[in-house]
Amino acid sequence: MTPATLTPVHSERTVPAPPRSRFRRRGPFLTPYVFVAPFYVVFATFGLYPLVYALQLSFTNWKGAGEARFIGLDNYTYLLTSEEFWSSLGNSAVMWLLIVPVQIVGGLAAAVLLANARLRLRGMFRVAFIAPFVTPLVAMAQVWIVAFDKDYGLVNHLLGLVGLPHVDWLASTAWAKPTLALLFLWKTTGFAIIILLAGLQAVPADVYEAAALDGASRQRQFWSLTLPLVRRSIAFLVVVQTLAVFQMFAEPFVVTKGGPYGSTTTGGLYLYNHITASDLGTGAANSFLLVLLVFALSLLSVRLLRSRDE
Amino acid sequence: MPQPTVPRRRVLRGALGAGALALAGPLAACAPGSSSSEPRKLTGTPGASAKGEITIWNRSGDLFKVFDKAIDAFRKAYPNVKVNHQAVDIDAKLANTLITGTDLPDGSFWDDAKIGSQAEHLYDLTDLIAPYREQTSAYKLSVNTVDGRIYGVPWDLDPGLLWYREDLLEDAGVDPAGLKTYDDLLAAARALKEKNSSARPIHMEKDPFLGQLWLEMLANQQGTSLADADGKVRLDSKEYRTILTWIRDAVDDGLVTHGEYLKQADLAALENGQQALVPWAVWWSFAPQQLLKKTKGKWRAAPLPAWTPGGARSGAMGGSSFIIPAKAKNPELAWLLYEFLCFKQPGYTAVYGPSSVYPGGLTTSVPSYTPARRADKPLFQPVAALGGQDLWKVAVDAAATIPAAAPIPAWWTKSVDYLGNNLQRLMEGGMRPDDVIDDSTRKIQRNLVDRA
Repeated sequence: MTPATLTPVHSERTVPAPPRSRFRRRGPFLTPYVFVAPFYVVFATFGLYPLVYALQLSFTNWKGAGEARFIGLDNYTYLLTSEEFWSSLGNSAVMWLLIVPVQIVGGLAAAVLLANARLRLRGMFRVAFIAPFVTPLVAMAQVWIVAFDKDYGLVNHLLGLVGLPHVDWLASTAWAKPTLALLFLWKTTGFAIIILLAGLQAVPADVYEAAALDGASRQRQFWSLTLPLVRRSIAFLVVVQTLAVFQMFAEPFVVTKGGPYGSTTTGGLYLYNHITASDLGTGAANSFLLVLLVFALSLLSVRLLRSRDE
Repeated sequence: MPQPTVPRRRVLRGALGAGALALAGPLAACAPGSSSSEPRKLTGTPGASAKGEITIWNRSGDLFKVFDKAIDAFRKAYPNVKVNHQAVDIDAKLANTLITGTDLPDGSFWDDAKIGSQAEHLYDLTDLIAPYREQTSAYKLSVNTVDGRIYGVPWDLDPGLLWYREDLLEDAGVDPAGLKTYDDLLAAARALKEKNSSARPIHMEKDPFLGQLWLEMLANQQGTSLADADGKVRLDSKEYRTILTWIRDAVDDGLVTHGEYLKQADLAALENGQQALVPWAVWWSFAPQQLLKKTKGKWRAAPLPAWTPGGARSGAMGGSSFIIPAKAKNPELAWLLYEFLCFKQPGYTAVYGPSSVYPGGLTTSVPSYTPARRADKPLFQPVAALGGQDLWKVAVDAAATIPAAAPIPAWWTKSVDYLGNNLQRLMEGGMRPDDVIDDSTRKIQRNLVDRA
């Protein structure tokens, strides 16, 4: 048996293709790049450029005017040895403890309640939970200032009715953080509920039916089915809220201006204070340190909440 | 036929190169510090035939209306100059606008404490102010000076006064004329407290910024300030120790109401007699005129007590000036307006005199220009809410004793985080005077002076 061979076929009738322009020749390859180019142009202009510029600033002593002197890592060493910097992170950490666990537990409870098709007035409850999330924060912060005023606030008035002493909610170092945390919880728990509700509704009903047939109680279903299956939603929320808490700015800025005595100066507000003082180099360095910290915390949260099989 | 291909890696490399070029251009163009640091000097003064258009920024509110009327007087004097007078949130907008150099006004009102930090973006007005220099408050000139150059047209002077409840002092047998030193003030407060055990007669400020401004008024009275002319912190001094010790003594004796400036609780304590002695700037005159309904007519003003017998009877608390941005389109015309408002009789009369906004005149400050501040030629009228007292005379006499100061350092506002907060701790009894001095000095030095 003779092995088959493949030989080039030359035909006199083969007409060579006309020469194509370089653009036409490369066209099919370039087309996708042309389509994605707008994104990269926008990203380079509004994302990458400010990032690189901020990084450059973080190694200078620029105050918004005059010559910028390259000072190496001075801004970073200054911040890492600054009482105020660590105090702002400490404030954010306490806020995180006051907010995130409460929000996850409370949000999950509310989401489970709202996912129940037999709940009466379910639509009204959903609107009630979500309304604060779409309310302008600054307006609500003003309400907080009035409601928690030591002398004329509604909260102290109610405490007075039951014989409890007035509390200096916004001007005492002990109470200012919890009061702000309450505002943050009130404002953003609606968002947590939306995410958790979406996670719950993605769980197929037949999983619960099968569990019920196997004799699993409602409690057992919650711990063994619901919780593991919304784990990803919880992890997402923890990451997003960790970011939000460490960058929290508007609440302390409007309500307490970071006081009393810096006890509500969060990482975000401390960063802003550098900018208002025209200390742009330190502000830029602070923002990069904050990014690193939030990234590390987010990574930790995701790892802790990852299931064994992921 | 196989397609001729461009290697993917080469395309990506090319794109990265183009991206780097695209970035490098703007980065170089916007690199910080590319502008010159030499101040621009304004020297020319247009005459009466001046012509053109200027945009002027002012704070909103009643003061804007007052200046609007005064600018009408300017328009009559210089009919060919069009003035666009705009109410702007100056604190939020001006510094950023100066730095970016876009949409700048030709002139703006600004706090004295903020001018030093942006001097680089302002016209040097030294030569233009020279003819008026000898007759302008030394304090105002000093706070507008950076490296020997003047960057603000001095507008208002805010002398500190002692505001007191005449009826309560009379009941307690205290003669207001006898309150000549701060020890006398403590004695008066004790007398008031003896008469009314719930009284905490002396107001001390709870807002850290205003509290520090108040402290600087008491320091200015003794001829000192937080920083010297070289920008060095001089908190560790006999003068500051005297003030802080006096505050602590008043706190320890239960003579202090620690309240926030004219907030509801403060107003209530002023109306019910808990507070009867308020050492504060002349702009506190606003309170009896507009806020204190029950005690209107019972308040009076006197010069501040002195720290030592025969010492200065006032210090400045706050104040504002006018600046002209270095990139203003019509700086000469802006100067013409400010010269008119601050140094020309029709101008300052229009600002301080009776108007539809303030029928009795603007009583919250006095002019910085000495010829405008004559006791025998009042610009505003006696104040009915002060029982018809001639506040003008009290204020201009007090203003005349205000000592010169040092330029306000660019970091002054930020120092509130340290000194302002520690002052609050002192007023709450949580800190001793020496601790306030040591801790504040160390933190201001490390965080502000060393990094300026």
